[in-house]
Amino acid sequence: MTAAPVIRTHGLTKTFGAVRALDGLDLEVTSGEVHGFLGPNGAGKSTTIRILLGLVRATGGEAELFGADPWRNAAHLHERLAYVAGDVALWPGLTGGQCIDVLGATQGTLNERRRAELVDRFDLDPTKRVRDYSKGNRQKVALIAALAADVELLVLDEPTSGLDPLMEQAFQEVVRERRDQGCTVLLSSHILDEVESLADTVSIIRRGRTVTTGTLAELRRHTRTTVHAVTALDPADLAEAPGVSDFVAERLDGHVDTRFTIDAAHLDEVIGQLHHATIFTLTVAPPSLDDLFLHAYGDAPQPEASILQGSSR
Amino acid sequence: MTGLGRLLGVHWRTQWLAITVWVVALGMSMIGTAAGIVSLYDTPEKIHTYAAAVTVGSSLVAINGRVEGIDSLGGIVQDEFGFLAAILMPLLGISLVARTTRREEESGRLESLLAGRVSREVPPVAALVVATAAILATAFTFAVGLALTGIPLSRSILYAASLAALAFVFAAIAVLAGQVTLHARGVYTVGLLALAVAYVLRGVGDVTKTWITWLSPLGWAEKAAPFAAMRWWTLAIPLVVGLALSAAAVAYAARRDLGSSLSRRGGGPARAGAWLQNPVGLAVRIHLPSILGWLAGALILAAMMGALAKQFIDAVLGNPAMGTAIGVTTVSPLDGFVAVIQLYLGIVVMGYAVQSVGILRGEETDGRLEPRLAGRIPRWQWLLAHLAVVLGGLVLIVVAASLTLALTTAWSTGQAARMRVILGSGLAYLPAELVLVGIALALFAVKPRLFPLAWLSYGAIAFIGFLGPALRLARWVLDLSPTTHVGNPPLGTVRMLPLTVMSAIALGLGLLAVVGFSMRRVPQG
Repeated sequence: MTAAPVIRTHGLTKTFGAVRALDGLDLEVTSGEVHGFLGPNGAGKSTTIRILLGLVRATGGEAELFGADPWRNAAHLHERLAYVAGDVALWPGLTGGQCIDVLGATQGTLNERRRAELVDRFDLDPTKRVRDYSKGNRQKVALIAALAADVELLVLDEPTSGLDPLMEQAFQEVVRERRDQGCTVLLSSHILDEVESLADTVSIIRRGRTVTTGTLAELRRHTRTTVHAVTALDPADLAEAPGVSDFVAERLDGHVDTRFTIDAAHLDEVIGQLHHATIFTLTVAPPSLDDLFLHAYGDAPQPEASILQGSSR
Repeated sequence: MTGLGRLLGVHWRTQWLAITVWVVALGMSMIGTAAGIVSLYDTPEKIHTYAAAVTVGSSLVAINGRVEGIDSLGGIVQDEFGFLAAILMPLLGISLVARTTRREEESGRLESLLAGRVSREVPPVAALVVATAAILATAFTFAVGLALTGIPLSRSILYAASLAALAFVFAAIAVLAGQVTLHARGVYTVGLLALAVAYVLRGVGDVTKTWITWLSPLGWAEKAAPFAAMRWWTLAIPLVVGLALSAAAVAYAARRDLGSSLSRRGGGPARAGAWLQNPVGLAVRIHLPSILGWLAGALILAAMMGALAKQFIDAVLGNPAMGTAIGVTTVSPLDGFVAVIQLYLGIVVMGYAVQSVGILRGEETDGRLEPRLAGRIPRWQWLLAHLAVVLGGLVLIVVAASLTLALTTAWSTGQAARMRVILGSGLAYLPAELVLVGIALALFAVKPRLFPLAWLSYGAIAFIGFLGPALRLARWVLDLSPTTHVGNPPLGTVRMLPLTVMSAIALGLGLLAVVGFSMRRVPQG
């Protein structure tokens, strides 16, 4: 993709007193993509989003929103985006419908047709007072206001906490429709299924730094596939084959039981070698996104992750 | 009653500050009133003059009640403290119960407790126990304080007990309201409505000298007559009524669903109009309940005081010492009286000022400011929209209260000539009030976590305004308060220079707020 990035940060830092919330964060969101923004609690996701919205000023580094400084041009830039905060807070005395309109007036222009359609699809009673809403219903109000806005960018900070699976599905459909209409989406989320089914690219951050970033296809390509094969003959030179690691082979009941991991580039070659050894059973497990996320969240980043970081630039 | 102890422990840990503030504030104001009266009415003649003054006509009887034994020090205390006690004692019961029942249920905290080893009927009982403990502590302070100022012990105890019983009835009303209304606001509404009805019944009964007084909890307290007949048995009425109401609440709590109520408010409009979508319109919507509340308070104060102007002036002419104590001379008692009331109104308006800027802080801490500023409204525009509404409310309250004071004073004294002067003296306080708006706004905009300092400033101003002259504070201490620089109109002369300087300071603080707000981090918890 060659389009100018909608969001770009480079070496972004933010300190709150002695606490270093962001420590050189890089993020690039290209126009028209759904960008999954992941990281454990306290990794700096909300701080990054607030800097991009001009609510918090960065201590150092660069941040650009639509190619401009998000702090200095805040209100002007906000005409082009809609935001759903992690903790949705509404005015308790107003009804849900009134809150949608108030939030709608706060953001870009509310699309009347889409507003009516979304109230219907999210099954919201707009005449109820906010005070009487459940958490999920308050979330729906903020989502409808954001998704019904005619904007170029949606910034969604953990938008589906509190939604039921049916509403989660409706949310995913609407986000896909908005993306197809050309809207860019920055989606901060903890729900990996949601990210996997919506995001074109993802960035994983930890302790205020970017750990991994790239398209989901790239992530898959750079993650290792697990192979378990039972063969008649010993695939002897496999242990030294390029791309193979974690190799374990043992002889069981006259067969050879082999387990190893392999990177995507060498999979075809290695399967060929296994074929020569006469395959009885073969299990090839594709890389699990959960594994990748969990490893990236954890204290010891996988070597693959750093390779990926280098290659996706 | 499983879990009563556990729930009481939770309440104590979350409410001890509120309880302490209530007990200390009520105790101090009662002891202060009593001590002031003892030093002011040091001869039987002065006591008699007072008794004669307050029993003339029916306005004071309607407001403070018909006190039996008014010809004694205790009687004067009961009369002087009557209005404050009639409002604050019920409010003590209502607020503590609302905080420990519906508010907990509404927030979802009660759900976690009831899911544990706490049975369903315990919450109303625990709320009543907490409120009763606070009420008893207050009553104990009253009795000790009154006895220390030289009022007979048994009479002090009966008076304190009658006020405690009054608070207990309203605590019980709130306990029942906490079960049948859906929100904490509903508890306050029901409680204050009951208080208004009780107040009117007591007033009508006292003025007409009929049995109607006996229909009101305020009447029961009054009929205990601690400084005359000493009817101990009247304490049984509020006790029985309170226990009956609480029993009903407990019975209902044991059978109702969590989060349910008898009364449920209907829905509202599905769309917001152009007015609500406008920053100023939404700000009006947010501030309106507070503006109306303070307006009502200021109007009631102004109307009551204005209606009493004649009796007040007569009392001062009859007892110059009393006038001197509150800063009213016998030379031009009407102007002196208006000056005192305008100062009080000014301090009330300043309370509004700090509280209404505090609403902005509430918008931030509740998380509603963030999505607003993430929109296309520039920060300065959001701030100025709210400021415009705050100032509009302030001017409305000042003008309406001054007009009310002018009209009722004219009605009471028959002198319509001073109306323009009274209105002008109210407006003269505007610059001083704006200074406090500026202080509060600048704190919110620049260092929001220091916003409590605005309340501290208000406390200092109120202290200097109410007690400064009486305590003969040093000149420089008096000069700290903006109200000092107004010039005590209409008794004193208003000079333009201080008013201009205060306006300039307010403007400077306002500009600082706009600049500071555009530079700070949002939200700050």
